[in-house]
Amino acid sequence: MTKRLPWNRENRWRWIDTLLAAIVVIGALLYVYELMVGSRGLQVDYIAANYGQYLRAVTVNLYMTTVAFVVGMTVGFFLGWLRTIRSVPVKKVIRDYTALADASSRSPFVRSGMLALTVAWTGVKYLVRRIGDAYVEIIRGTPLFVQILFAWSILVVNFPGLFTNPSSVAFTAGLVALTANTAGYQAEIFRAGLQTVHSGQVEAARALGFSRLGAMRHVILPQALRLIVPPLTNEYIGLFKASTLVFILGVQTEITFVANKNAFAGHVFEIFAIVTGIFLLITVVLAKVVQALESRFRIPGLGIQQTRSERHRARPAEVP
Amino acid sequence: MIRVEGIHKYFGTLHVLRGISLDVEKGEAVVVIGPSGSGKSTLLRCINLLVEPDEGRVFLEGTQVNRADIRREWVRQQVGMVFQSFNLFTHLTALQNVMLGLTQVKGISKDVAATKARQLLARVGLAAKEHAYPAQLSGGQQQRVAIARALAMDPKAMLFDEPTSALDPEYIREVLDVMTALAREGMTMIVVTHEMGFASSVASRILFMDTGMIIEEGTPDKIFHHPEHERTRSFVDKILR
Amino acid sequence: MDTAAPARTERPRARLVTPTTALRGAEIAAGATLAILFFQEFLQFSLFDPNLWLAYGPIFLGGLGGTIRFILLVIPISVILGFFLGWARISLHRVLVWPVTMFVDFFRGMPPLVLVIFAFLFGDDLIPQAIKDRLLAGIPLRVVSVTAAALAIAFHSAAYQAEIFRAGFQSVPMGQLEAAQALGMKPWQAMRWVVLPQTFRLSLPPLGNELAVVIKDTSLLAAVAGGEIVSRSQNFAGTLSISGYPVEWLFAIWTAVAISYFAATFTVTRLLLVLERRFHTPGLEAVSI
Repeated sequence: MTKRLPWNRENRWRWIDTLLAAIVVIGALLYVYELMVGSRGLQVDYIAANYGQYLRAVTVNLYMTTVAFVVGMTVGFFLGWLRTIRSVPVKKVIRDYTALADASSRSPFVRSGMLALTVAWTGVKYLVRRIGDAYVEIIRGTPLFVQILFAWSILVVNFPGLFTNPSSVAFTAGLVALTANTAGYQAEIFRAGLQTVHSGQVEAARALGFSRLGAMRHVILPQALRLIVPPLTNEYIGLFKASTLVFILGVQTEITFVANKNAFAGHVFEIFAIVTGIFLLITVVLAKVVQALESRFRIPGLGIQQTRSERHRARPAEVP
Repeated sequence: MIRVEGIHKYFGTLHVLRGISLDVEKGEAVVVIGPSGSGKSTLLRCINLLVEPDEGRVFLEGTQVNRADIRREWVRQQVGMVFQSFNLFTHLTALQNVMLGLTQVKGISKDVAATKARQLLARVGLAAKEHAYPAQLSGGQQQRVAIARALAMDPKAMLFDEPTSALDPEYIREVLDVMTALAREGMTMIVVTHEMGFASSVASRILFMDTGMIIEEGTPDKIFHHPEHERTRSFVDKILR
Repeated sequence: MDTAAPARTERPRARLVTPTTALRGAEIAAGATLAILFFQEFLQFSLFDPNLWLAYGPIFLGGLGGTIRFILLVIPISVILGFFLGWARISLHRVLVWPVTMFVDFFRGMPPLVLVIFAFLFGDDLIPQAIKDRLLAGIPLRVVSVTAAALAIAFHSAAYQAEIFRAGFQSVPMGQLEAAQALGMKPWQAMRWVVLPQTFRLSLPPLGNELAVVIKDTSLLAAVAGGEIVSRSQNFAGTLSISGYPVEWLFAIWTAVAISYFAATFTVTRLLLVLERRFHTPGLEAVSI
């Protein structure tokens, strides 16, 4: 009896498919190479001699990114927390208060005073939340480019005595703008993460006698962090990419070398290769790390995949 | 009506169907039972060619349909299918779900299709729910819409793939009632189910499948009370107890 | 069964402006005014200085026109390209998947600014000579280079949108396709009537965010003096001290530019929200964090 193996034919197809795919990919790479290098030939010694310069430049970017990211995270966390405050209609506040106060037997004078305080406190909460909203909306609604120029203008016009040389003005302005920017974006990530953790969890924690901070520390954060880490890492990658923008103020980064085409005339492809190599190495490696982390720390039942198992069989899109 | 001859199906190295042959007469209701992974669902999918059998022949009213020159879409129009997980089109209302096949596959005008769809929804007892989206319906209601959607194509036969196993207990009855009525009207049906009450009252024949083969077939009485094979007996014992 | 009923099968229209949204709009307008007044007070400038607008107005309007032109060029290209790239990525054929993955990984991994500068400097070299001779003859090199830079932004965004659409496609369960086939639909019919409508709804919210990002990314063209609002304003700002204008105008200029971008992103995200509400279907909400 001959045993039929119907998947054999599929396997052959797969093989041809793979071969074609490889041909297309390599062909595309060769095409770009040919157009940019042509008959000139790749100058490996140029790369060998100059890559160090670019690596040093990229450390400036990494340094700025990291400082801005860490400071921005602190600001962003509290901002995000602020934005989870629910806005309660004044009518409801008054109704709730009177309903509660009816039970107690205080004098009407004290009662109206307390009511005013309660309403005022609600107003303060509303205002604080709205300021947080406005900050996030402004940061997310305008380009980082403009934010950097704005920060630089403020430093130059309002604090002219603070800096002695122009490059430190530029560096500080870049750092301030990057920090303010990432704080806005991270606030949004924290808000989404905190809000995703079910409010029942807070209730349960407070019922056990946790304080507001304690509930945050021991119950909500451990859950929210798992949801937050992937978008936060994506934010780091995005910020690293965005940090190239400080070049417009003249901070020395690898971009500065690229932008100066004349100085590197004749080595178009070599520069392209070095810069692309450095960036792809950092961003792609980081992205893979996120994927690994995500699957490593996933808790069954927590997260978007599980609650929507029917539909979300794949990772949802990363937050850009 | 439906005849299947010596069907084999492989998924990779997995031999899912090992030479199944089956003949279903017009108006017959055949119930297929068997442990999970025994190939029941694959058998149903081979009949309407959602899954292409690797070997063997499938006949519909005497015509072999798993031939290269027969359009698969045509075959599937002739045979309706109801799924375990309903698979109602999430973005469409109940009425639109029933209409879609009529307007897009059969090319019927919207007005005529809507009238027909309303009749079918009324028949499954959901006339009031025509503008509800699947997410707004209970499991039992969703499955009844799915039955109406399949019936709208005027199928010659219906395939039911565990239509009640994803339902909460309180909704099983309403779906089975619709299916029973359908069988009484003389619809040719092949039903994969573990609802023994339904099987014994409606089925003309019961097939017991295991490891990709039909182990035993016969009347409900024979399979449930006097099974010949040891495997059938132990399976029936498990689901009846 | 009431057969006399009209065959009303289209979805009931959702109300787009409700009292809540109107209140929210008023709140936003008040907030924006307060924010601007606060900035003016804090940084000692005035956005309503007639001298400023005499000098800067034409530059501002010209730059605004340039930016809008770039947005109108970049958004359609990026959405169409992103959609088909996302579709190709879920293909079973490696011939499609591998090149698309390479494209997406490259453009997502590179900073858009670097892409813009590369495209501006070397975009011209990447176009084959034959095409240059036939189609681009007589077009100045500068125009070609700036367009290449704009295309780099479009490609960068297309790579992100490919991921959005891919997730949208993959979020539609296999059972939906199976049910469509079981009704006798041809593959393209199942795609058109069952898969695409769901992908579209699931992709809308993240797409709104991404379009806001593209709009902001057009500001990167200033790095190559693309002639849009940031580069023109930068030029003007650079001449402030030479022309003897007050240095506080810097703030006015950048506030005006920021407001324009804010208005643009705000409009686009709200438009997408309106679309989202218009096509809202229970059970088809995209989840994004």
